[in-house]
Amino acid sequence: MIKTPDLIASLAANATPVRRLRPPVMRAACWLLLAAVVLTLLAINQGIRPDLVQRLSEPAFAVSMATSLLTGVLAAVAAFLVSLPDRSRLWLLLPVPALVAWLSNVGYQCLVQWVAIGPDGISLGEAARCFATLVLTSLPLSLAMLVMLRYAAPLRPNAAAFMGSLAVAAITATALSLFHTVDATVMILMWNFGTAVLFVGLAGVFGRRMFRWVAPRTFYARD
Amino acid sequence: MTHEPRGRGPSLRLVGKDDRSGAYGTASVTRDVDWSILMARAQEGDRVAYQRLLQEITPYLRSLAARRLRDPNDIEDVVQDVLLTVHSIRQTYDPSRPFAPWLVAIANRRFIDRLRRGGRTRDREIPLTAEHETFCEPPANLEESLDRHELEGAVNNLPPAQQRAIRLLKLKEMSLKEAATVSGISITSLKVNAHRALKSLRKMLVDRSEP
Repeated sequence: MIKTPDLIASLAANATPVRRLRPPVMRAACWLLLAAVVLTLLAINQGIRPDLVQRLSEPAFAVSMATSLLTGVLAAVAAFLVSLPDRSRLWLLLPVPALVAWLSNVGYQCLVQWVAIGPDGISLGEAARCFATLVLTSLPLSLAMLVMLRYAAPLRPNAAAFMGSLAVAAITATALSLFHTVDATVMILMWNFGTAVLFVGLAGVFGRRMFRWVAPRTFYARD
Repeated sequence: MTHEPRGRGPSLRLVGKDDRSGAYGTASVTRDVDWSILMARAQEGDRVAYQRLLQEITPYLRSLAARRLRDPNDIEDVVQDVLLTVHSIRQTYDPSRPFAPWLVAIANRRFIDRLRRGGRTRDREIPLTAEHETFCEPPANLEESLDRHELEGAVNNLPPAQQRAIRLLKLKEMSLKEAATVSGISITSLKVNAHRALKSLRKMLVDRSEP
């Protein structure tokens, strides 16, 4: 085992200047800006769903959109806050009200107006396009989130990965309801709950490993 | 130095929190401000400040670790882990916030990791003891000390001139020339005495083993 004074000397010798991280809220804003850019590009490429304006006037749909978007924003802020060592773990509760509102709203809608998949309700082509939107939105956002949260790896990898994936899931769900006519209840459930569960689950399984991959090298060199 | 006025306000507030975890009084306030300044300089690449900071926090970390862990080796190891973590995520420190809570949060993570690892090791591994080593290392199986005592006894029974020759030439492994200068006896006489000594030793030891 290396002696502690020697370790200190070698660390001090390696003390290259570092750039301080910006405040967490600002970093969250940067990430959300990236999300906005991705959504805009997708809107230009795929086109907004034709009945968006009409649907937005329905309170249930508008509330569902707003709450999922809010969940995404708050989860991103919470993710950047808990990635810092000296911030309280209680920030994890920040997106909870929005999350509860979002999921309960979707659940309630499904309960009161169950729309079975009609003959023209769903086609393979639509599902494939939905899936394309899902991947195109979530992939760049996940990677950006992963890289931006890499300093959380030695601290709270699970909490940070959980919040980050919740943010990605909420933004992706918003994108799906922006671009695709998913009115069948099963589809709404699938694309809302399904995305949330998918990303949070992926974070649970791969979060630590992915962090290890992007984490600062000096820390894991010893393991 | 520019960070001092900004650092003082919040550190007063949060050192109150720190008090509960064991830092005391105004001394800890000034210490915290000092550490904030040192860390801010270290982030700008000031190696001297960084070294001083690490040296100053090491005893503090040891005392924190001693509350959680028993084994002194574990404590030193975990302190080094904390230092490495501090080094790898030093850009996450914001000089406008107090230093101690930042450090303690990192340290606690590493302590918990160490405790968990200790638990896993206890569950799954059996440490090697001296008995296990006896089987792996050949010297551990040979009781050389007994032979040495017997030989010493035999050498003590020799006449003094032979004793001196055997000690210098065989036990201390000197050359004839060295032994001659050390003892003042001629090389020929040393040779003769050593030869006689070996002969009688052989006789004594063979006699003893074949009674």
